[in-house]
Amino acid sequence: MEKKYVRSIEELQLDEPRLDQPAGDRQFILGMEKEVKKMSSTTRRDFLKTFGFTIASAAIASSCEQPVRKAIPFLIQPEEVMPGSASYYASTFYDGVDYCSILVKVRDGRPIKIEGNTLSSITKGGTNSRTQAAILGLYDNERLKFPMENGSETTWEQIDEKILDELEQIKAKNGTIAILTPTIISPSTKAVLNTFEEAYPNTKIVAYDAISSAGILQANKAGFGKAFIPSYRFDKARIIVSFDADFLGSWLSPIEYTKQYVKGRDLTQGQRKMSRHIHFEGNMSLTGSNADHRVQVKPSQQKLVVASLLNSLRLASGQATITAPASPIETSLLALELLEHKGAALVVSGSNDPEEQMMVNAINELLDSFGNTIITEKHLKVRQADDQALKQLIHDMEANKIDALLVYDVNPAYDYYNSKAFVNALTKVKLTIAMTVTDDETTALCTYVCPDHHFLEAWNDFEVYTGHYSMAQPAIRPIFNTRAAHDSLLRWAGIEKDYRSFMKDYWQEHLFTASLADLSFTDFWNKRVHDGVFDTRKTENGLTHFDPTASIEALSQLKAPASNGLDLLLYTNVSVGSGKHANNPWLQELPDPVSKVCWDNYVAISPRLAKELDLKDEQLVRINGSDPLPILIQPGQEYKTLGVALGYGRERAGKPANGVGRNMFGFQQNGGDTLLAFVEDVKLEKADGTLAIARTQSHHSMEGRSIVRETTLEEYLTDPQSGNEIRKEIQEHLKTLYPKIEYDGLHWGMAIDLNACTGCNACVVSCSVENNVPVVGKEQVIMAREMHWIRIDRYYTDDMDNPELVRQPVMCQHCDNAPCENVCPVAATTHSNEGLNQMAYNRCIGTRYCANNCPYKVRRFNYFDHTGADAFKGNRYDPVEMTTDLRRMVLNPDVTVRAKGVIEKCSFCVQRIQDKKLLAKKQNRPLRDGEVIPACAQACPADAIVFGNLNDKNSKVSKYYADARNYHLLEELHTLPSVGYLTKVKNKTV
Amino acid sequence: MKQIFFKQAQAIVLSKLCLMLIILFSFGELFAQSPEAERNYQVCRACHNYDGPKLIGPNLIGVNDRHEQDWLIRFIRNSQEMIQAGDPEAVRLFEENDQLIMTPNEHLSDEQIIDILLYIENGLQVDPELAAAAAAAETDEEVSAVEDQWQLQMAKERDAHRNTGTTFIITLIILLVVLFDMFVTKLIKYKIIHSVLILIGLVVIGEIAYKEAAVFGRQQYYQPEQPIWFSHKVHADQNEIDCQYCHTVADQGKSAGIPSVNVCMNCHHQVKEGQITGKKEIDKIQKAWETGEPIEWIRVYNLPDHVYFNHAQHVEVAKIDCAECHGEVENMHEVIQIEDLSMRWCLDCHRTTEVMFESNAFYTAFEKLHDQVRNGTIKSVTADMVGGADCMKCHY
Repeated sequence: MEKKYVRSIEELQLDEPRLDQPAGDRQFILGMEKEVKKMSSTTRRDFLKTFGFTIASAAIASSCEQPVRKAIPFLIQPEEVMPGSASYYASTFYDGVDYCSILVKVRDGRPIKIEGNTLSSITKGGTNSRTQAAILGLYDNERLKFPMENGSETTWEQIDEKILDELEQIKAKNGTIAILTPTIISPSTKAVLNTFEEAYPNTKIVAYDAISSAGILQANKAGFGKAFIPSYRFDKARIIVSFDADFLGSWLSPIEYTKQYVKGRDLTQGQRKMSRHIHFEGNMSLTGSNADHRVQVKPSQQKLVVASLLNSLRLASGQATITAPASPIETSLLALELLEHKGAALVVSGSNDPEEQMMVNAINELLDSFGNTIITEKHLKVRQADDQALKQLIHDMEANKIDALLVYDVNPAYDYYNSKAFVNALTKVKLTIAMTVTDDETTALCTYVCPDHHFLEAWNDFEVYTGHYSMAQPAIRPIFNTRAAHDSLLRWAGIEKDYRSFMKDYWQEHLFTASLADLSFTDFWNKRVHDGVFDTRKTENGLTHFDPTASIEALSQLKAPASNGLDLLLYTNVSVGSGKHANNPWLQELPDPVSKVCWDNYVAISPRLAKELDLKDEQLVRINGSDPLPILIQPGQEYKTLGVALGYGRERAGKPANGVGRNMFGFQQNGGDTLLAFVEDVKLEKADGTLAIARTQSHHSMEGRSIVRETTLEEYLTDPQSGNEIRKEIQEHLKTLYPKIEYDGLHWGMAIDLNACTGCNACVVSCSVENNVPVVGKEQVIMAREMHWIRIDRYYTDDMDNPELVRQPVMCQHCDNAPCENVCPVAATTHSNEGLNQMAYNRCIGTRYCANNCPYKVRRFNYFDHTGADAFKGNRYDPVEMTTDLRRMVLNPDVTVRAKGVIEKCSFCVQRIQDKKLLAKKQNRPLRDGEVIPACAQACPADAIVFGNLNDKNSKVSKYYADARNYHLLEELHTLPSVGYLTKVKNKTV
Repeated sequence: MKQIFFKQAQAIVLSKLCLMLIILFSFGELFAQSPEAERNYQVCRACHNYDGPKLIGPNLIGVNDRHEQDWLIRFIRNSQEMIQAGDPEAVRLFEENDQLIMTPNEHLSDEQIIDILLYIENGLQVDPELAAAAAAAETDEEVSAVEDQWQLQMAKERDAHRNTGTTFIITLIILLVVLFDMFVTKLIKYKIIHSVLILIGLVVIGEIAYKEAAVFGRQQYYQPEQPIWFSHKVHADQNEIDCQYCHTVADQGKSAGIPSVNVCMNCHHQVKEGQITGKKEIDKIQKAWETGEPIEWIRVYNLPDHVYFNHAQHVEVAKIDCAECHGEVENMHEVIQIEDLSMRWCLDCHRTTEVMFESNAFYTAFEKLHDQVRNGTIKSVTADMVGGADCMKCHY
């Protein structure tokens, strides 16, 4: 990085006045000035030249003929396809880490958006940021486009011939074939693997999870006799205690858990109760930041707290305590509180330490959770891999015991903790075949590359929970010369059947039972493909008895951590996650829900430690001699815990991902049985230089204004308006000279329940996908030019060492007295008869007066052309390859792609409003409440966003507006926003 | 635009030919196997082959030898009548051909039928001299009659355009001359004359520049040459095919839909030869069908990317006739863009067109407007009163 944008560390230290510091804006302007000077040294003469050229080119252009546009119809138009109208196909997103049942919106043959499938009993229409962003994976520039042998293009016939030949040779000499896969939850895929195994009896199938849950599996094996992950019911819990389990962000099944969690905390229907959430962690995680009570604990000491809680519970339930090292945190009060809610309490831990999980199991046993908040009859099928399996495989590979390795959909050369060992061992295997979608670190090392379909091009099925199935069907024909990995395996196994028929046969044989609803298999199949989900009553039996022996043993053998040094905690964030989707610019530009940083990973450090070590933001440091990483002072970080995100530092993923951040997978510890995500006693040393961090919010305080209003449950129950008292006061003072605008018919409004919003960022990605929001790249984000139409503001309250955190999604507030509308010199932004603040891009001349006059800072300016919309190539700024023909296929044709020099902002998804209005008109009926759903509301796994007609007094949004908790952002300005917020209610004792 | 010039030139030549034809037609009754016979024969062709394999009815080769001419005339005009009357020959034919009824041709005169029979007799040959003249006359008749209307309009527009061009150049020259005189030659003594002339010149130039700039990017009277010479007149007017038979989703979707090749093939499986272009153009459909290469039509009506237009809203909801925007397409062989598709054109219509306020239940939400209609404060509700003139109804 040659360019250095100075950002002050003082910005962070809110308690101190910043008198010597220029205002943020001024600094920004200074930076811009510098940049402008660097980019162009335009003199008056140059200006005149350009001016003259423009006139001349306009003259030439006007004398030229219009370009010829073609309209090419189908040869045979499929019945269900209507040009210019979208169709939806049910499918499933599963990438080995996350699961989500989805609907794919297909416009004129192109998938352009992913929505949640409301028929799913698991995800219930919710999505997360990665599911939303997955659509861009289909149009990834780095997708493998054809089969390859030693890096050069070949044909499927040739590659099949060669592979079959080698496989036969291996079979003949009784050699071993290994297939490395992620955790497979697809019953048909398992059957395909079995078929392959039958054809080549000496086949080993090794499952490997980049993000492992082996700790829970082993603990359950010890406690229940079977390794499984149960079904957690956060909605049934009155009290939730989490030990670093980021269940709203990345732990196991976050979409499902968010739905449950929010259900247990909903107050919009006049409920008088909500669950209480206590969170122990070292980092500031998404889930921790939502907790009612957050306790900082070092990862290495977390086990001691769990042990202490177990002992306290045993004591309180009249059992003998077992001697264990002292816990840094007193747990007896918590134990009592938990026991008060016996049968409605849930304790979870995100640790991958089997012993800790065993103790957590014992705690849940004492709290009567099994059968109530933890259902052992339904198993979550994701992340089932044994952490030692790959280690064993590598050992075998090194010992020349493996003759062929088939890598399917995993990338251990990047995300295995000991990737070097894997890479070395791979050289000893004669036949290596990669079956992946994109080019990656592992694929590059394999002799044969048999590119797999993207999941939106392929058939598949999934059993995510015992008896809960879902389907994937192709939403587009394969874009490239790819073949489903299943088809490849079937071909090599000598089966002349494609995967779809194979899967259909499997379903007919194993899952179909004739019933009144499904008379024939065709009916059954068509219905399942249509719905995308299929629930049966199948349960796992005989797993209700919990045996605490192992847990007690774990407790008695517990040792205190050897040192009191620094801990390094590795975590996965809600954007790039395990790094599999790191090449997705939408995810890279998605700000972290806590730190608001994008385009990098960094070392999160507590303010206290930073002060002690004299470290400032963006200072480069080394952890145990690693490659340098920048520092980020994170309020709420545990004093002696460093936090770094996994999933960065890809080397062979594509332009957006390569070289972004550092790969931290190598820091995972092999704890004997499982891989642990923290390292004890690391050394932190200062390295030379700094690295600019891009963050979308650098200001952390509300400066004494009531921007986000919150209260506690106790206060709320005595006075529903608590925390929102100022609203009454403000309303008394609001005076205006202008008559109040009355809307006839429709008046669109949005309400956001801050109590539901977890800050997961799904809405941000969904909005970007729906509205063709450009990706601007790291440098532009540093200059505060990110384009997101919706952002989630987060503020810290109280002291910086142990702050509370509040969040608020902010998009255009569609003010009825809009300050932006008055100042536009060309009337490019006006008010509609439905209460929308309209933006006509083609009229905008880019004065930015509106952005300047907007009190909410929601208007975004296109400093460059980031999407390839501009006729002039020179206007383009595309640092992350978003303007390639392939990438541009994702653009929504119903939304104008903005060119350089215009302002844009949230439109309340006017294209969706118009679409549903038209549907109602065509069907000759009034618009129904809840029919129009903006992209943000549709993506939300917490159902925090409600949209509707404010003129309809029975609409959900009107009811939210009538709630005593409702308030408007900066309502003292009398802008009369059409977005309302319901106060955040925390269930805490004051 | 080039094409339009060409067409005009063609029209002049053709009108001359037309004169010739009128002269010819005064003797026309005497001639047999006129091109009209060929045209009428197309109806026969649907069921009868001249030669080769048998279609629905018997082959027509040698038909004049098999039957008497009088009998043939009666049979062609209405065979069922004869069968019911018990004509043995007719009944035999009816039985032999699976009792398939031959469509009556009551509109044909005896002369026309004889003409057809002669045409068959001659091995499907038309008198070459007549053919040339008639073809010319026919095309001319149609082209001149049909295209006259908008041809005139176009010519007018083009002339206006050319006039402004001339005016622009003349004004510019005057302006330069005046300026030259003002500073160099100084022939006119009074500076006031210079000033007035310069002022007038600038106003004229400004006016022209403004008008020209306003139409920049618009394509009124755009009539591209399509990959297939497809005539809307033949399909929509002569064969009375409804617009939505081919543009199937105009009432449901955003686009009206360009018909896919299989829609063409619905009819052109049978109809393999046209009246005007013969096999040449229809063969292109066959070729597309056989090779699987879709036909690359040229879009005539183009809207800028920042405009959202939905056909269903206008066709299905507002019940606007296609011709309101597209003109009398049934009278055009090749489609031409009639309107300029300017924003003013859209808005003018939105400001004057009434919405289906009472009949469409969607509008029940507009309570105040309903009150006003009931009170008689307003007579009708136009599109702009329910937001039809708002930016974000079309731009988003």
